[in-house]
Amino acid sequence: MDTAIRNTIRRLRFDQNEMTQQALADKVGVTRQTINAIELGKYSPSLEVAFRIAAAFGVPLEQVFQFDGPQSKA
Amino acid sequence: MSFREKSAWISLVSLVVVFGAYFSYIGMVLAGLARNRFALFLVMLAVFIIAEVVLHLVIATQSPRDARTPKDEREQLIELKATRTAFYVLLVSAVGSIGTVHLRLSDPDDHLWLMMQAVLFSIVCAEAVKFARQIVLYRRDA
Repeated sequence: MDTAIRNTIRRLRFDQNEMTQQALADKVGVTRQTINAIELGKYSPSLEVAFRIAAAFGVPLEQVFQFDGPQSKA
Repeated sequence: MSFREKSAWISLVSLVVVFGAYFSYIGMVLAGLARNRFALFLVMLAVFIIAEVVLHLVIATQSPRDARTPKDEREQLIELKATRTAFYVLLVSAVGSIGTVHLRLSDPDDHLWLMMQAVLFSIVCAEAVKFARQIVLYRRDA
């Protein structure tokens, strides 16, 4: 099931000299399949993993993840 | 396919093949076509363990890094969801196993034997459901 959380991981990987999913997974400490599931919006990571992904790219959390739920539109 | 998904496939296929053969034999015993042999259970258990170890060694050799990597949070969640589903299967089939005491059997020892087989069948079914659910969850999130 797709989540209400959007992300820009694909774009950020491209900006980081086409970083591979495996390289990002190694930096974050999860499997490549988990990075793929997060990138496709099929799995919402824990807050800790979300922060680790942002830290791997050297950007703030909100630049990586955006919430599409009803409260975000208010 | 990830290492964990391959592992789930190996466990599911090994379980179904080995214990499928075992319970087919038990069916023949119940039908009076074969004699009960407890040694068969020990042999099947040994075959299952050997198959699991050998096949896991093969896939671990193919992707040693994945095999060494501990389960991450998504894989742990998949395992928890699968175990929860398997628990309900175990619960229902274990209660069903109790029903075997109401069967009319000539030898009282047969009740004990039959209930043991029913409980074993419940465990095998629950494990099979757990691995199958893991595979579905890995496929759906892939």
